[in-house]
Amino acid sequence: MEKLTYSEAKKELEAIVAAIESGELDVDALTEKVKRASELIAFCKEKLTKTDEELQKLLDDID
Amino acid sequence: MQKSSLSLSELNRSVRDTIRKNFPDTYWVRAETSDVRRNQNGHCYLEFIEKDPVTQVILARARGMIWANTFQMLSTYFEGETGQPFTSGLKVLVRVSVDFHEIYGFSLNVVDIDPTFTLGEMAKNRLLVLKRLEEEGVLTLNKELTLPELCNRIAVISSPTAAGYEDFCDQLAKNPYGLVFYTKLFPAVMQGEKSEVSIIAALEKIYAYRHLFDAVAIIRGGGATSELNCFDSYLLATHCAQFPLPIVSGIGHERDVTVLDIVSHTRAKTPTAVAEFFVGHVAKSFAELIDLEKRLVAVSRDFLQREKFRLSVLSKEVYHFSTAFMRDQSALIGQTAFRLKHFVNRMIQLLQQQEQQRNLRFRHALEQRLQNEKQTLLVSEQYIRMVSPENILKRGYTITMKAGKIITSAEKLQIDELIETLFWNGKIVSQVKKLKE
Repeated sequence: MEKLTYSEAKKELEAIVAAIESGELDVDALTEKVKRASELIAFCKEKLTKTDEELQKLLDDID
Repeated sequence: MQKSSLSLSELNRSVRDTIRKNFPDTYWVRAETSDVRRNQNGHCYLEFIEKDPVTQVILARARGMIWANTFQMLSTYFEGETGQPFTSGLKVLVRVSVDFHEIYGFSLNVVDIDPTFTLGEMAKNRLLVLKRLEEEGVLTLNKELTLPELCNRIAVISSPTAAGYEDFCDQLAKNPYGLVFYTKLFPAVMQGEKSEVSIIAALEKIYAYRHLFDAVAIIRGGGATSELNCFDSYLLATHCAQFPLPIVSGIGHERDVTVLDIVSHTRAKTPTAVAEFFVGHVAKSFAELIDLEKRLVAVSRDFLQREKFRLSVLSKEVYHFSTAFMRDQSALIGQTAFRLKHFVNRMIQLLQQQEQQRNLRFRHALEQRLQNEKQTLLVSEQYIRMVSPENILKRGYTITMKAGKIITSAEKLQIDELIETLFWNGKIVSQVKKLKE
C-alpha cells in the first residue's frame, strides 16, 4: 500500500463502496474495485488495531 | 534650641489611637489576595493589594492576617462555596478590622469573607478574558480544527503522579474495541500559580513534536475541590486557542466551565471522560469501517447475484430468440418447401398436361395413321382377294404344273409327260397326247 493516511484510505474506500452501490460498474471494474477496497480495509484495520513500533519508539525517545 | 519631639513608640501609639478612634468598626473591603501563607500555629498571613485594572500597577497594599480559628472556619466556607481554596491571586470581599501595632504596623484583621464576590469576580474575569480572545479573533481557533478520524496519538499534559493520568491511560488501554492508542506524557504543574507557565512550556514542547500527534489532552486528577483560577488565565487560553493540534480538556471540575474548557476543541469533565471521548471518536470510525466492509460484501454479493441472474435471463433470451429464430426459419423453410412443392407439382402437372396433350395428339395421329393403314390394308386385301389364285381359279382359270413347278408355256411340255392341273377345289393329273402350234 502506497503512503496513505488513514483518512485518505477511508475516504477512498467510501468512494469505492458508493461507486459499487451505484450499480454502474461492469464485472471487470467491480473485481478491480473490490480488490482495492479489501486492501484499503486491511490497511485501515491495521492502523486502528496494530501498534506501530516505529512510532512508539519515536514517542519513547522524546525526553 | 530644643525641638519638640516624640519617641517612635509615642508616635506609633498616637497613630494607633487615632486609627482605633477613627476606625472603630469592621469594614467590607474589596482587594486581591497575595502571598497567602500559614504559620505553624494555623494563623494565616497575607497581603491585600489593589491593582489598576488596565495597567495592573499596584495602587494599594496592606498586610492582613486571619487568626487560626477564624481561618479554619472561613477557608472551609470559602472553598465550599467557590470550589476554590483560599489562595493568592483571588479577588475577595472581606470584612476587616483595622489595626495598627507599634511593632508590626498597619494590618487588616479578617473576620469574615463573602465568597459570592469572588465567584462573581472570577466569572467577570472569565468574561473579560473571553471577550479579549474574541476581539483578537482567536477564541474559536482550536474548535475550528478538525479532529483527525484516526485520532490515536495523544500528547498528554498532566502531573505525572496524578491519579487522573493513570485513569486516562487505563481507560485508553482497556478500550473494548482493541484500538491502539499512543500516549506521551508532557509533565506540568497543574495547580497553583506556577501551572500557567508550566502548562505553556509543555505546550511549546509538544509544538516541537506536533507532527507525531493527533491531539493534546490537558488533564488533571479529580479528587477534592481544587483551584481552577489558573485555567481562566488569558495567557494559557490564548496559547491553547492558537495551538495547531486539537486540545481536549479534562481538568476534573464538574461545576464550572473554565476559559481553558471554552477555548479547547472539546471539553470533557474528567480524565476518564477525555479517554472515553478519544475511544468513542476512533471507535466511530472503526464502526464505519466495519459498516463499509459489510456494505462492500453485501453489494458485491448482490452484484454477482444480479449478474448471474442477468446472465441466466440472457441465456434464456438467447434460447427464446434462437427457438423463435428456428421457428421463423423453419416456418420460412416450410413455406418455401410448400411453395417449392406447389411449384414442382404445378410443373409436373403442366408437364403432364403437355405430355397428355402430346400423347393425345400422338394417339390421334397414330389412330389416324392406323385408320389410314387399315383403310389401305382393307383396299389391299380386297385387291389381293380379287387377284388371289383362288378367286382367279374360281373364275375359271387353272394352274398347270409339272413336277411341282408351275408351267407357263406349252413349249416346256413333251408328249406323254404327266401334268397336274389345279382347280379351285381340287387337281387332276393328265397325259400330254398331242402338241399343237
